[in-house]
Amino acid sequence: MRVRTLRRVSQWSVFALFVFLFLNTEYKDNDVLPYAVNSFLRLDPLMAGAASLAGRAVIALVWPALVTLVLTAVLGRFFCGWVCPMGAVIDASDAAFFRKAKRKASIPPSWRRGKFLVLFFLAASSLFTLQWAFLFDPISILIRTFTVSVYPALNLVLHGIFDAFFRMPESVSRVSEPVYGFLKSRLLAFEQPVFRTSAFVGILFLGILAAGAFQRRFWCRNLCPLGALLALAGRFGIFRRRVDVSGCTDCGVCAADCRMGAIGADVAVTDHGECIQCMDCRAVCPEEVIRFSGSEGRAGAPVDLSRRGVLASAALGAVTVPFFRVEAHGKAPSPSLIRPPGALAEREFLARCTRCGECMRVCIANGLQPTWFEAGLEGLWSPVLMPRIGYCEYNCTLCGQVCPTGAIRRLPIEEKRKVRLGLAWIDRSRCLPWKGESDCIVCEEHCPTGSKAILLREERAQARGGEWRTFKRPYIEESLCVGCGICETKCPLSDRAAVLVTARGETRATGELAR
Amino acid sequence: MTIRIDRRTFLKGAAAGTLAVAGWPLVGPPRREERGGEAFASGTGGTSIAVAGGGKPETMVRGAVAALGGMSRFVHRGDMVVVKPNIGWDRTPEQAANTNPEVVRTVVRMCLESGAKSVRVVDRPCNDPRRCYKRSGIKDAVESLGAPEAVVEYADPRKFVEKEIRNGKALGKWTFYKDVLDADRTINVPIAKHHNASRLTMSLKNIMGILGGNRGNIHHDLDRNIAELNTVMRFDLIVLDAVRILTANGPQGGRLQDVRPADTVIAGTDPVAVDSYGATLFGIAGHDVPHVLYASRLGLGEIDLKKVRVLKV
Repeated sequence: MRVRTLRRVSQWSVFALFVFLFLNTEYKDNDVLPYAVNSFLRLDPLMAGAASLAGRAVIALVWPALVTLVLTAVLGRFFCGWVCPMGAVIDASDAAFFRKAKRKASIPPSWRRGKFLVLFFLAASSLFTLQWAFLFDPISILIRTFTVSVYPALNLVLHGIFDAFFRMPESVSRVSEPVYGFLKSRLLAFEQPVFRTSAFVGILFLGILAAGAFQRRFWCRNLCPLGALLALAGRFGIFRRRVDVSGCTDCGVCAADCRMGAIGADVAVTDHGECIQCMDCRAVCPEEVIRFSGSEGRAGAPVDLSRRGVLASAALGAVTVPFFRVEAHGKAPSPSLIRPPGALAEREFLARCTRCGECMRVCIANGLQPTWFEAGLEGLWSPVLMPRIGYCEYNCTLCGQVCPTGAIRRLPIEEKRKVRLGLAWIDRSRCLPWKGESDCIVCEEHCPTGSKAILLREERAQARGGEWRTFKRPYIEESLCVGCGICETKCPLSDRAAVLVTARGETRATGELAR
Repeated sequence: MTIRIDRRTFLKGAAAGTLAVAGWPLVGPPRREERGGEAFASGTGGTSIAVAGGGKPETMVRGAVAALGGMSRFVHRGDMVVVKPNIGWDRTPEQAANTNPEVVRTVVRMCLESGAKSVRVVDRPCNDPRRCYKRSGIKDAVESLGAPEAVVEYADPRKFVEKEIRNGKALGKWTFYKDVLDADRTINVPIAKHHNASRLTMSLKNIMGILGGNRGNIHHDLDRNIAELNTVMRFDLIVLDAVRILTANGPQGGRLQDVRPADTVIAGTDPVAVDSYGATLFGIAGHDVPHVLYASRLGLGEIDLKKVRVLKV
């Protein structure tokens, strides 16, 4: 088999695995997910390093990242060319949309330094407890984008199509419904998911793909900090491009074809940090003098990185940290910032949270949503429970099972039922029985705690028309309330509910407990 | 030929002393499409219900239905049947918030034995449907029959159709699940349990599970609404599960100390009579449950158990 075919098979197999795990990040009649759906992030040394550094913790969950690092040290930056699902998507997009693009504006090779600057910026800010890696980490971006934008949009479109067939005469729906049923069982979500920030996340992702118009693998070459980390780790791998200089005619075909720009003006010189070992150059070389083993040709190019650049970006990463620490939300956190059950204390939580969105993906009632700025700029895309969208299912522990870094602890069900996310309160000026309009009891009925945290008291009150009647009025028993928010979800009032949950009284653990 | 078998079966049941069901043609109730308008087999004249006690759930269900003349009186060969249990909550069978899975399985099995072409079990739960179907044990129980004709389905949100509620005071119309309205035969398999708003929930209240829309709004005048919603459709058979009953903190429950074994299954075609009998298990009467009272006033059935023939099994 040709190497190129082999590589594509590898890329697409990994991508298929990625999709498989993504589709299985969902409740399917098992209280415990049967697959390690968070594997990709746990293999990611950038996220693992940033979370450990910023969270000041040895996170046992992310041990597979070490495997990636060791393999990279031995084999070079193969991950980007053979494994990375983001790389596969970018390759596919480049091939599909930009194959014939006349890339007039040639990007200077020096832009490749950008990714190192990003890396050192992130490393320094992580060192000072601010974890920003999620913004640039390709695995986090990909899972987040799939969760928040791509998959919900796919559901919407497919549902739209099949709903249209469904409303057509029976001769059509008789054919379409079995197909729909199949898709429903294999691909589509149980209910249409909706997420905040979905348009923003989707557009950012399209931006990454669109950069292919300027350069192949623009993202991987110039911006990806995981690529930068692997470039540094893999520079001295044994598996690397070598050119038999005696036979090379310096025709330049290989350099022109290189998707990473890893081949210098002297085509026998390789920037081993940039080379992702796709081995296309070996395939296109008319003289067949390129090999990936055997005797060394010319020495590799030095890493394209200046001391000044490293220091400047690291300094910038460090200097910005205090700006974040003086944001007022640290003193007065948003009352609506209800974190998932088992979330660590806020600082540790944000340090570890990879913003991958796995918890939101798996959240059975669609209640976990990405934040905009409720947790500050630093907290962007971190999960928050928004009961008006969906509640926390009392007997569910899935978010803690999928979190790749333990930002949300994996809790046994008995323990989870005791975790308090916040407390409910009743807006008596809107609640129907409180304002003398009618009985209701919907919140009480749905309250999941065995001894109800919402009590009904029969009280005489003046009804709307002025007459005295008995109403069943709800009261919150705070010692029993776990803040799951189902009362707020189910409250029959439109727009704002009359029973609302805030983060008051939440139980949060420290990382000590998590280990 | 089908009719002859049915008649024979029916006569067998009659011999067992169940001929008291007036108003039923010998071949059983007319198929839905043959019925004109609100052809309720109303409970005003000689209602019978069957009450089975003190056995395994399967034995009780079989006994009660046999006392009414057997399942073949209600389900004919080739019928498309919908079975509507209460699968409202993410609770286990021991917590008695959902219909007993053994009861549901037995009803489904009996439908298959009567030659049903398909038996679909469906509900619209309050918690996540997947969790409710699984943890209630109902999905596994029905699937354990291994019959391809019997399926447990999640309600399809596209299939709710608007129905006018005649005599409706508060609700002019509401959406109902199309598959239930269209089925040849419908069987209501509720559980008897406490309900903090409607006092008890049994067969009449179980109609909530086939409604679309924001059901929270129905709670504003719940008792009247339940009764009026039942004027839109009537189930062909009710099998009320009172194997375990939830006596407090209903309808969701959760505490085992609120659950009491009642070891009873009640079957009938009159929802008011069935629910009135069910109320006695909680030490009250049908009159004490406002929505049952409203239903009786709407002519949906007989609330006075003295006028109901109770066949004890």
